[in-house]
Amino acid sequence: MSGRVIVITSGKGGVGKTTASANIGVALASTGVSVALVDMDIGLRNLDILMGLENRVVYNLVDVVEERCKLRQALVKDKKLPNLSLLPAAQTRDKSAVNAEQMKALCGELKSMYDFVLVDSPAGIEQGFQNAVAGADEAIVITTPEMSAVRDADRIIGLLEARKDEIKEYRLVLNRYRPTMVANNDMMSVDDVLEILSVKLLGVVPEDEDIIISTNKGEPISGTDNIRAGLAYRNIARRIRGEDVAIMDLESKNSTWINKIVSFFNPTVRV
Amino acid sequence: MQIFNWLFPAKGDDVRSTAKDRMRSMLTHDRLELPAGRLETLEEELMAVVGRYFELDKDTTHFDLQQYERRASLIANFRLLRSKC
Repeated sequence: MSGRVIVITSGKGGVGKTTASANIGVALASTGVSVALVDMDIGLRNLDILMGLENRVVYNLVDVVEERCKLRQALVKDKKLPNLSLLPAAQTRDKSAVNAEQMKALCGELKSMYDFVLVDSPAGIEQGFQNAVAGADEAIVITTPEMSAVRDADRIIGLLEARKDEIKEYRLVLNRYRPTMVANNDMMSVDDVLEILSVKLLGVVPEDEDIIISTNKGEPISGTDNIRAGLAYRNIARRIRGEDVAIMDLESKNSTWINKIVSFFNPTVRV
Repeated sequence: MQIFNWLFPAKGDDVRSTAKDRMRSMLTHDRLELPAGRLETLEEELMAVVGRYFELDKDTTHFDLQQYERRASLIANFRLLRSKC
Protein backbone atom coordinates (compact mmCIF):
# COMPACT_ATOMS: atom_id res chain seq x y z
CA MET A 1 0.00 0.00 0.00
CA SER A 2 1.16 3.53 -0.67
CA GLY A 3 -0.94 6.17 1.05
CA ARG A 4 -0.96 9.95 0.69
CA VAL A 5 0.97 12.07 3.17
CA ILE A 6 -0.78 15.43 3.66
CA VAL A 7 0.72 18.13 5.88
CA ILE A 8 -1.68 20.58 7.54
CA THR A 9 -0.01 23.92 8.05
CA SER A 10 -0.72 27.65 8.46
CA GLY A 11 2.25 29.77 9.46
CA LYS A 12 0.26 31.69 12.04
CA GLY A 13 -0.70 30.00 15.28
CA GLY A 14 -4.24 29.88 16.60
CA VAL A 15 -6.06 29.69 13.26
CA GLY A 16 -7.34 26.16 13.91
CA LYS A 17 -4.68 23.85 12.48
CA THR A 18 -4.97 21.18 15.13
CA THR A 19 -8.77 21.34 15.17
CA ALA A 20 -8.75 20.96 11.40
CA SER A 21 -6.32 18.02 11.58
CA ALA A 22 -8.53 16.19 14.10
CA ASN A 23 -11.71 16.88 12.15
CA ILE A 24 -10.35 16.04 8.72
CA GLY A 25 -8.86 12.85 10.21
CA VAL A 26 -12.20 11.77 11.68
CA ALA A 27 -14.11 12.77 8.54
CA LEU A 28 -11.72 10.86 6.27
CA ALA A 29 -11.76 7.77 8.48
CA SER A 30 -15.58 7.90 8.52
CA THR A 31 -15.55 7.40 4.75
CA GLY A 32 -13.91 4.01 5.35
CA VAL A 33 -10.24 4.67 4.55
CA SER A 34 -7.45 4.12 7.09
CA VAL A 35 -5.92 7.28 8.54
CA ALA A 36 -2.90 8.08 10.73
CA LEU A 37 -2.81 11.48 12.42
CA VAL A 38 0.71 12.65 13.25
CA ASP A 39 1.20 15.41 15.82
CA MET A 40 4.41 17.19 14.81
CA ASP A 41 4.08 19.97 17.36
CA ILE A 42 6.83 18.52 19.53
CA GLY A 43 6.87 20.12 22.97
CA LEU A 44 3.32 21.47 22.57
CA ARG A 45 1.25 18.32 22.21
CA ASN A 46 -2.46 19.00 21.67
CA LEU A 47 -3.93 16.69 19.08
CA ASP A 48 -4.42 13.96 21.70
CA ILE A 49 -6.73 16.27 23.70
CA LEU A 50 -8.87 17.15 20.69
CA MET A 51 -9.22 13.46 19.90
CA GLY A 52 -10.05 12.66 23.54
CA LEU A 53 -7.09 10.26 23.64
CA GLU A 54 -4.85 12.01 26.17
CA ASN A 55 -5.18 9.19 28.71
CA ARG A 56 -4.08 6.53 26.25
CA VAL A 57 -0.74 8.00 25.19
CA VAL A 58 2.13 5.72 26.21
CA TYR A 59 4.86 6.32 23.63
CA ASN A 60 5.32 9.20 21.22
CA LEU A 61 6.90 10.21 17.92
CA VAL A 62 10.30 10.93 19.44
CA ASP A 63 10.31 7.49 21.14
CA VAL A 64 9.78 5.94 17.70
CA VAL A 65 12.52 8.01 16.04
CA GLU A 66 14.96 7.24 18.87
CA GLU A 67 13.97 3.57 18.70
CA ARG A 68 12.69 3.22 22.25
CA CYS A 69 9.59 1.54 20.84
CA LYS A 70 8.14 0.14 17.64
CA LEU A 71 5.98 2.44 15.49
CA ARG A 72 2.93 0.22 16.10
CA GLN A 73 3.35 0.54 19.88
CA ALA A 74 3.24 4.33 19.73
CA LEU A 75 0.10 4.54 17.57
CA VAL A 76 -3.03 5.18 19.66
CA LYS A 77 -6.29 3.84 18.20
CA ASP A 78 -9.31 6.15 18.15
CA LYS A 79 -12.14 5.30 20.56
CA LYS A 80 -14.84 5.12 17.90
CA LEU A 81 -13.07 4.57 14.59
CA PRO A 82 -10.78 1.50 14.53
CA ASN A 83 -9.28 2.64 11.19
CA LEU A 84 -8.05 5.93 12.72
CA SER A 85 -4.84 6.19 14.78
CA LEU A 86 -2.86 8.98 16.40
CA LEU A 87 0.91 9.25 16.63
CA PRO A 88 1.30 11.72 19.52
CA ALA A 89 4.04 14.34 19.80
CA ALA A 90 6.49 14.27 22.71
CA GLN A 91 5.52 16.78 25.35
CA THR A 92 8.87 17.14 27.12
CA ARG A 93 11.18 17.60 24.12
CA ASP A 94 11.54 20.33 21.50
CA LYS A 95 11.54 20.71 17.71
CA SER A 96 15.21 19.74 17.40
CA ALA A 97 14.48 16.21 18.71
CA VAL A 98 13.86 15.00 15.13
CA ASN A 99 15.26 16.00 11.75
CA ALA A 100 13.86 16.08 8.21
CA GLU A 101 15.48 12.77 7.19
CA GLN A 102 13.96 10.96 10.16
CA MET A 103 10.55 12.46 9.34
CA LYS A 104 10.81 11.31 5.72
CA ALA A 105 11.58 7.77 6.86
CA LEU A 106 8.72 7.84 9.38
CA CYS A 107 6.20 9.13 6.80
CA GLY A 108 7.42 6.48 4.37
CA GLU A 109 6.73 3.76 6.91
CA LEU A 110 3.33 5.21 7.83
CA LYS A 111 2.15 5.46 4.26
CA SER A 112 2.90 1.80 3.74
CA MET A 113 0.40 1.11 6.56
CA TYR A 114 -2.35 3.72 5.99
CA ASP A 115 -4.35 5.22 3.10
CA PHE A 116 -3.87 8.71 4.51
CA VAL A 117 -1.20 10.18 6.78
CA LEU A 118 -2.16 13.64 8.09
CA VAL A 119 0.71 15.60 9.61
CA ASP A 120 -0.28 18.43 11.97
CA SER A 121 2.47 21.03 11.59
CA PRO A 122 3.51 23.42 14.36
CA ALA A 123 3.07 27.17 13.79
CA GLY A 124 5.98 29.12 12.36
CA ILE A 125 8.32 28.56 9.42
CA GLU A 126 11.34 27.24 11.32
CA GLN A 127 12.61 23.72 11.86
CA GLY A 128 9.30 22.37 13.18
CA PHE A 129 7.61 23.37 9.94
CA GLN A 130 10.50 22.09 7.82
CA ASN A 131 10.29 18.71 9.59
CA ALA A 132 6.51 18.54 9.17
CA VAL A 133 6.67 19.11 5.39
CA ALA A 134 9.72 16.86 4.88
CA GLY A 135 7.80 13.67 4.11
CA ALA A 136 4.65 15.22 2.64
CA ASP A 137 3.23 14.70 -0.86
CA GLU A 138 0.50 17.33 -0.50
CA ALA A 139 -0.36 20.22 1.79
CA ILE A 140 -3.45 21.85 3.25
CA VAL A 141 -2.95 25.51 4.18
CA ILE A 142 -5.30 26.75 6.90
CA THR A 143 -6.10 30.43 7.33
CA THR A 144 -8.83 32.65 8.72
CA PRO A 145 -9.99 35.71 6.74
CA GLU A 146 -7.92 38.01 8.98
CA MET A 147 -5.07 40.01 7.47
CA SER A 148 -2.27 38.66 9.65
CA ALA A 149 -3.35 35.05 9.06
CA VAL A 150 -3.62 35.58 5.29
CA ARG A 151 -0.18 37.18 5.21
CA ASP A 152 1.36 34.22 7.02
CA ALA A 153 -0.51 31.78 4.76
CA ASP A 154 1.03 33.57 1.78
CA ARG A 155 4.48 33.06 3.25
CA ILE A 156 3.76 29.35 3.71
CA ILE A 157 2.49 29.06 0.12
CA GLY A 158 5.77 30.61 -1.05
CA LEU A 159 7.72 27.98 0.90
CA LEU A 160 5.53 25.17 -0.47
CA GLU A 161 6.05 26.47 -4.02
CA ALA A 162 9.78 26.21 -3.46
CA ARG A 163 9.29 22.49 -2.71
CA LYS A 164 7.26 21.85 -5.87
CA ASP A 165 9.21 18.66 -6.61
CA GLU A 166 8.05 16.94 -3.43
CA ILE A 167 4.76 18.72 -2.65
CA LYS A 168 2.61 18.13 -5.71
CA GLU A 169 -0.47 19.97 -4.57
CA TYR A 170 -1.56 22.45 -1.94
CA ARG A 171 -5.05 23.74 -1.25
CA LEU A 172 -6.57 26.26 1.12
CA VAL A 173 -9.06 25.82 3.95
CA LEU A 174 -10.64 29.10 5.04
CA ASN A 175 -11.52 28.69 8.70
CA ARG A 176 -13.74 30.68 11.08
CA TYR A 177 -15.63 32.26 8.23
CA ARG A 178 -18.27 34.79 9.29
CA PRO A 179 -20.82 35.27 6.49
CA THR A 180 -22.70 38.01 8.34
CA MET A 181 -19.56 40.15 8.62
CA VAL A 182 -18.79 39.58 4.94
CA ALA A 183 -22.35 40.54 3.99
CA ASN A 184 -21.88 43.78 5.94
CA ASN A 185 -18.58 44.46 4.13
CA ASP A 186 -16.66 44.21 7.40
CA MET A 187 -14.46 41.29 6.37
CA MET A 188 -12.82 39.76 3.29
CA SER A 189 -14.91 37.17 1.41
CA VAL A 190 -13.88 33.71 0.23
CA ASP A 191 -13.30 35.08 -3.27
CA ASP A 192 -11.25 38.01 -1.95
CA VAL A 193 -8.88 35.67 -0.10
CA LEU A 194 -8.59 33.26 -3.03
CA GLU A 195 -7.87 36.09 -5.43
CA ILE A 196 -5.21 37.59 -3.17
CA LEU A 197 -3.45 34.28 -2.51
CA SER A 198 -4.00 32.79 -6.02
CA VAL A 199 -4.64 29.38 -4.53
CA LYS A 200 -7.08 26.50 -4.99
CA LEU A 201 -9.85 26.16 -2.41
CA LEU A 202 -10.36 22.92 -0.50
CA GLY A 203 -13.11 24.15 1.81
CA VAL A 204 -14.68 26.86 3.94
CA VAL A 205 -15.47 26.23 7.62
CA PRO A 206 -17.90 28.65 9.26
CA GLU A 207 -17.20 30.07 12.70
CA ASP A 208 -19.04 27.82 15.12
CA GLU A 209 -19.27 27.79 18.91
CA ASP A 210 -19.91 24.07 18.73
CA ILE A 211 -16.21 23.65 17.85
CA ILE A 212 -15.26 24.75 21.38
CA ILE A 213 -17.84 22.42 22.89
CA SER A 214 -16.56 19.49 20.83
CA THR A 215 -12.97 20.24 21.88
CA ASN A 216 -14.01 20.22 25.52
CA LYS A 217 -15.71 16.87 25.02
CA GLY A 218 -12.77 15.42 23.08
CA GLU A 219 -15.03 14.46 20.20
CA PRO A 220 -14.22 16.11 16.86
CA ILE A 221 -17.26 17.84 15.42
CA SER A 222 -17.06 16.18 12.01
CA GLY A 223 -18.49 13.07 13.65
CA THR A 224 -21.62 15.03 14.62
CA ASP A 225 -24.59 15.64 12.33
CA ASN A 226 -26.56 18.89 12.02
CA ILE A 227 -23.59 21.17 12.67
CA ARG A 228 -22.45 23.30 9.76
CA ALA A 229 -18.76 23.21 10.68
CA GLY A 230 -18.97 19.42 10.92
CA LEU A 231 -20.56 19.21 7.48
CA ALA A 232 -17.84 21.52 6.14
CA TYR A 233 -15.16 19.09 7.36
CA ARG A 234 -16.98 16.07 5.92
CA ASN A 235 -17.15 17.87 2.57
CA ILE A 236 -13.42 18.60 2.79
CA ALA A 237 -12.73 14.90 3.36
CA ARG A 238 -14.80 13.97 0.31
CA ARG A 239 -12.92 16.52 -1.82
CA ILE A 240 -9.60 15.10 -0.61
CA ARG A 241 -10.80 11.71 -1.84
CA GLY A 242 -11.42 13.25 -5.24
CA GLU A 243 -15.18 13.76 -5.10
CA ASP A 244 -16.60 16.90 -6.68
CA VAL A 245 -18.54 18.50 -3.81
CA ALA A 246 -19.87 22.04 -4.15
CA ILE A 247 -18.82 24.60 -1.52
CA MET A 248 -21.85 24.94 0.74
CA ASP A 249 -23.83 28.13 0.62
CA LEU A 250 -22.69 30.14 3.60
CA GLU A 251 -24.07 33.45 2.45
CA SER A 252 -25.71 34.97 5.43
CA LYS A 253 -29.45 34.92 5.59
CA ASN A 254 -29.30 37.03 8.72
CA SER A 255 -28.46 40.35 7.14
CA THR A 256 -31.91 41.40 5.97
CA TRP A 257 -33.71 43.65 8.42
CA ILE A 258 -36.64 41.31 9.02
CA ASN A 259 -34.28 38.54 10.04
CA LYS A 260 -32.38 40.93 12.27
CA ILE A 261 -35.60 41.68 14.13
CA VAL A 262 -36.36 37.99 14.50
CA SER A 263 -32.86 37.16 15.73
CA PHE A 264 -32.96 40.19 18.05
CA PHE A 265 -35.92 38.75 19.92
CA ASN A 266 -34.72 35.19 19.67
CA PRO A 267 -30.99 34.88 19.00
CA THR A 268 -31.17 31.08 18.83
CA VAL A 269 -33.33 31.13 15.72
CA ARG A 270 -31.26 30.73 12.57
CA VAL A 271 -33.35 32.17 9.81
CA MET B 1 -31.67 56.43 15.62
CA GLN B 2 -29.31 53.75 16.81
CA ILE B 3 -31.81 51.03 16.12
CA PHE B 4 -32.37 52.51 12.65
CA ASN B 5 -28.65 52.30 11.88
CA TRP B 6 -28.62 48.77 13.12
CA LEU B 7 -31.56 47.70 10.98
CA PHE B 8 -30.35 49.53 7.86
CA PRO B 9 -26.56 49.60 8.02
CA ALA B 10 -24.78 52.26 5.97
CA LYS B 11 -22.90 50.69 3.08
CA GLY B 12 -20.44 53.57 2.89
CA ASP B 13 -17.82 52.29 5.32
CA ASP B 14 -16.36 49.42 3.33
CA VAL B 15 -13.80 47.81 5.63
CA ARG B 16 -13.70 44.80 3.34
CA SER B 17 -12.26 46.76 0.38
CA THR B 18 -9.78 48.51 2.65
CA ALA B 19 -8.57 45.16 3.98
CA LYS B 20 -8.29 43.75 0.47
CA ASP B 21 -6.32 46.72 -0.86
CA ARG B 22 -3.93 46.73 2.10
CA MET B 23 -3.52 42.97 1.80
CA ARG B 24 -2.70 43.14 -1.91
CA SER B 25 -0.08 45.85 -1.49
CA MET B 26 1.45 44.14 1.54
CA LEU B 27 1.77 40.76 -0.20
CA THR B 28 3.25 42.31 -3.34
CA HIS B 29 6.00 43.80 -1.19
CA ASP B 30 6.39 40.58 0.86
CA ARG B 31 6.72 38.33 -2.18
CA LEU B 32 9.37 40.51 -3.80
CA GLU B 33 11.05 41.19 -0.45
CA LEU B 34 10.69 44.82 -1.41
CA PRO B 35 11.45 47.31 1.37
CA ALA B 36 9.02 50.22 1.86
CA GLY B 37 9.98 53.27 -0.20
CA ARG B 38 12.09 51.32 -2.70
CA LEU B 39 9.44 51.56 -5.39
CA GLU B 40 9.24 55.34 -4.96
CA THR B 41 13.01 55.61 -5.43
CA LEU B 42 12.80 53.54 -8.62
CA GLU B 43 9.96 55.72 -9.86
CA GLU B 44 12.06 58.87 -9.36
CA GLU B 45 15.06 57.35 -11.11
CA LEU B 46 13.02 56.10 -14.07
CA MET B 47 11.34 59.49 -14.39
CA ALA B 48 14.77 61.11 -14.50
CA VAL B 49 15.99 58.75 -17.25
CA VAL B 50 12.88 59.07 -19.44
CA GLY B 51 12.88 62.79 -18.64
CA ARG B 52 16.28 63.15 -20.36
CA TYR B 53 14.65 62.17 -23.66
CA PHE B 54 11.12 63.48 -23.29
CA GLU B 55 9.20 66.20 -21.62
CA LEU B 56 6.77 64.36 -19.34
CA ASP B 57 3.31 65.13 -18.04
CA LYS B 58 4.18 64.24 -14.47
CA ASP B 59 0.61 64.49 -13.18
CA THR B 60 -0.71 61.68 -15.36
CA THR B 61 2.33 59.42 -15.20
CA HIS B 62 1.22 56.14 -13.71
CA PHE B 63 3.43 53.72 -11.84
CA ASP B 64 2.11 50.51 -10.35
CA LEU B 65 2.95 46.96 -9.26
CA GLN B 66 0.32 44.43 -10.28
CA GLN B 67 -0.07 40.78 -9.32
CA TYR B 68 -1.17 37.96 -11.55
CA GLU B 69 -1.04 34.38 -10.24
CA ARG B 70 1.55 35.23 -7.58
CA ARG B 71 3.85 36.95 -10.09
CA ALA B 72 4.34 40.70 -10.01
CA SER B 73 4.49 43.02 -13.01
CA LEU B 74 5.77 46.56 -12.96
CA ILE B 75 3.45 48.78 -14.98
CA ALA B 76 4.88 52.20 -15.83
CA ASN B 77 2.93 54.54 -18.02
CA PHE B 78 4.71 57.77 -18.99
CA ARG B 79 2.62 60.43 -20.64
CA LEU B 80 4.99 62.06 -23.19
CA LEU B 81 4.50 65.66 -24.23
CA ARG B 82 7.37 66.13 -26.71
CA SER B 83 10.85 64.94 -27.52
CA LYS B 84 13.73 66.81 -26.02
CA CYS B 85 16.19 66.50 -28.90
